[in-house]
Amino acid sequence: MASLITCPHCGVRPKEEFSIRGDASLVRPAPTASDEAWHDYVYVRANPRGRTLEHWQHVAGCRRFLVVERDTFTHEVHSVTDGAVFARENGR
Amino acid sequence: MIRDYYNRHALDEKLRGAPRPAGVNHLAIGHRQAVAMVLAHAGEEDTVQQVLSSATEFTVRFSAPGEWLVVSESDTSEGLQRRIDAFCAGRAYVVDQSEARVLFRLSGPSTHRILAKGVGLDLHPAAFATGASANALCGHIAVNLARTGDDTFELIAPRSFAESLFDDLMAMGREYDLTAAFAG
Repeated sequence: MASLITCPHCGVRPKEEFSIRGDASLVRPAPTASDEAWHDYVYVRANPRGRTLEHWQHVAGCRRFLVVERDTFTHEVHSVTDGAVFARENGR
Repeated sequence: MIRDYYNRHALDEKLRGAPRPAGVNHLAIGHRQAVAMVLAHAGEEDTVQQVLSSATEFTVRFSAPGEWLVVSESDTSEGLQRRIDAFCAGRAYVVDQSEARVLFRLSGPSTHRILAKGVGLDLHPAAFATGASANALCGHIAVNLARTGDDTFELIAPRSFAESLFDDLMAMGREYDLTAAFAG
């Protein structure tokens, strides 16, 4: 587990200050999408080895949702973005 | 049993005994300060920050983007709220936190070593200078930590965690003969 996360608002912080809130690469389907699409979105998760995008919330700090790109194999953290900025950049 | 929480400090029971004289390393518990949380309206974050940081009547603690804790030693809670409202002129929400937060003031030559036992922040003056503030974990309790001097730190914690944080701080400072009392 990556032990130090560089929060864009608070600086370098230990992982204990954060709470992992799941996969950030999923895109919410349209309300009229098929049951299968919704089932996949709500329940089906991959367990990847390598780079992943995750929502981390800085609960003991700025309480913002962050998108952390990290490697589940090497524990390396590649980037940390504010959730709102990430959503804007990806047109969500 | 009916308790009047409003007129009772969260640490009254902890500090009930005869006060020990303040040692070199001392933990003073704020008794009369007013604390307010300021949340800037969307898009007004920079303006509110400029307005707040230009004020000299109170100190501003960073909490999150667009969110600050404002502390005043001289104002009443209502007075502080009015003062911030006048400064921000409708650009921010102000929520009084005076009864909801407890302020701990740590002072003495060993404070950074005491805090190092519970806070995962770099407290070297180059990284956390006088006037800096941040939300951080102290042990398992989320506090707002601010450096008010070379050897002085202030922690603002939720009232319901005050007793627990007090015990933690006293355990962290035991090796340095930390004493505690209400601020005069």
